[in-house]
Amino acid sequence: MQQFYDFKIEKIKNLSSEEKILRKKNLELFYLNGFPSKKDEDWKFTDLKFILGQNFTNIVNTDLIPKERPYKLINDFEHNFISLVNGKLITKSFDYEEKDKIFISNFDYKNEIISHRENTLNFLNNALAQDGFSLEISKNYKLKKPLVIYNHFSNSLKETIVNNKNSIILNENSELTLINFVDNNSEENFMVNTMEDIKLKKNSSLKKFFINNTKNNAYFYKYLKNDLEKNSNLENYILSSGLKLNKLDIEVNHNEEFSNSCIFSALNLLNSEHQEIKTRINHNAPNCHSYQKIKNVLNNESKGVYQGKIFVKNIAQKTDAYQLSRALILDDKAEFDAKPELEIYADDVKCSHGSTSGSIDLDSIHYLKSRGIPEKEAYQMLINGFLCEVLEKLNENNLKKFLLQKLEDQIHGH
Amino acid sequence: MLKIKNLDATIDNKHILKGLNLNIKPGEVHAIMGPNGSGKSTLANVLSGKNGYETKGDIQFNGENLNELSTEERAQKGIFLAFQYPLEIPGVNTNIFLKTSLNAVRKAKGERELDTLTFLKLIKEKASELGIDEKFLSRQLNVGFSGGEKKKNEILQMKLLEPKLSILDETDSGLDIDALRIVADGVNSYKNKDNAFLIITHYQRLLDYIKPDFIHVLSNGKIVKTGDADLGIQLEKTGYTSLS
Repeated sequence: MQQFYDFKIEKIKNLSSEEKILRKKNLELFYLNGFPSKKDEDWKFTDLKFILGQNFTNIVNTDLIPKERPYKLINDFEHNFISLVNGKLITKSFDYEEKDKIFISNFDYKNEIISHRENTLNFLNNALAQDGFSLEISKNYKLKKPLVIYNHFSNSLKETIVNNKNSIILNENSELTLINFVDNNSEENFMVNTMEDIKLKKNSSLKKFFINNTKNNAYFYKYLKNDLEKNSNLENYILSSGLKLNKLDIEVNHNEEFSNSCIFSALNLLNSEHQEIKTRINHNAPNCHSYQKIKNVLNNESKGVYQGKIFVKNIAQKTDAYQLSRALILDDKAEFDAKPELEIYADDVKCSHGSTSGSIDLDSIHYLKSRGIPEKEAYQMLINGFLCEVLEKLNENNLKKFLLQKLEDQIHGH
Repeated sequence: MLKIKNLDATIDNKHILKGLNLNIKPGEVHAIMGPNGSGKSTLANVLSGKNGYETKGDIQFNGENLNELSTEERAQKGIFLAFQYPLEIPGVNTNIFLKTSLNAVRKAKGERELDTLTFLKLIKEKASELGIDEKFLSRQLNVGFSGGEKKKNEILQMKLLEPKLSILDETDSGLDIDALRIVADGVNSYKNKDNAFLIITHYQRLLDYIKPDFIHVLSNGKIVKTGDADLGIQLEKTGYTSLS
């Protein structure tokens, strides 16, 4: 295959010579193998090298200076917000909060280090990352309103890759609801490669939502590393339908006792959309609880992938870990791949996994139609019911209403 | 209202209905009884427009050829089937389902669609007539409902949609005496000179509460005997074998 990318460290401004050396080394490591392909076990269902090769002619890293663009704020619920353009922090608004309890700034590449080496995209990120943000919530502070992160992208990003790093720290006994809102209807192809580190200190709680608002031609990859201390709580909700490609690589480390994590996803994929959720839940301490429920509705030639691994260390007794993936396959050309994996070294644990895929239940369709509901609407009701179930446990009324509406928009093809 | 002439139905190469004839006029209650496998549920399914059946013969509903109508069009034009086994539909809220259904039917009739408040008022009223707890209506459709609750929910849908022809497919099965009475009262209070019922049942029991004008015995895909309400009582004593 012809090389379809060309990356240059020189495009990044204000680097110290030390940084330059480190970044060059990472870029060399990337160039050894290039983008991950199906030969890599972790990428066997998402052959990124092939997919990008088919959809890009020459990807370059950008030296574009992001500028604020006008955008609409969500008015369904009150919220704080920050806005990012191409990953760069542009505006921040914390009108509902005590300002000295929240620290938000550009990611500081000179002093903060996030450097994973799981795959070549991590190397590429280490080499090229710019912008991104650091967010820290003070001890004992519980945000009164959710924080929305508005993600926008320049129109001129065609054939480019954006790399950035984010860091989120919740100090002891703090709480945050965070909505990562991607709003971009660019028809141009571009890629975003993000690495995000999340640290939950004792008794802290983070609820995270990932919502994609409009259909677009974006290729997203995000590596999320979550470190959980004692009694902390992490909830992830993924509603990212509409992206051309999306792979979320989620690592959750239950490092101390009584920490709790959940991952819920509800995706309705159309056309040739392709999304993968790969998780690695490491139970490194006893008495922790993890829960994953992944739901996909696959239309046309779309593809959904779930690779979920639960690892239980020998000392992690009384672990309670659960994973379930369910797919509705609505078209002969659509595909769902699931690879559940359990690796358990403790003997007193409760671990279970399940995976089902099938077509829509025609008897249920008949039942709805026999009540006068037109066929198309009957299908949408069932799909909606299948996916909305993952939001059932939420109790924030306005936010839940908003999420259900977004999900419905996605089911109707945005 | 409903005229069935020489109806044949086949599914998976099994020939089930073999030349069935039936005429139902407004204001009438017809019961169809018959042994297992005689084709009772097939008749209900075919009338509701369920896919998978190969049919021959003629079915007219208020002058329209039923074969040309989809399931939803039949419902919109006033055919209602109370299912023998109402389906559980996870994730679909009962109230939202009922509202969508009612508004689809109203829209097809050229009536104004109901807003949420008006709908809730109406459904509350209808539910209380059947002794259905409002809480059920905010639950997922039929999920975790008992057999009796599911059947009551079917009758609630019937009363809400106000069909011309109601087909009750073994609505009495799985009901205790109290639930049976509530269901029967629901049917009797809805019955009038303009609508009609086709009640499919194994037993006389339900017919003690809902008095039919005609009882038909279905055997091997055909109606082999038609009589008045007394036929049911007679069958209860002699069984179906005496007829064949």
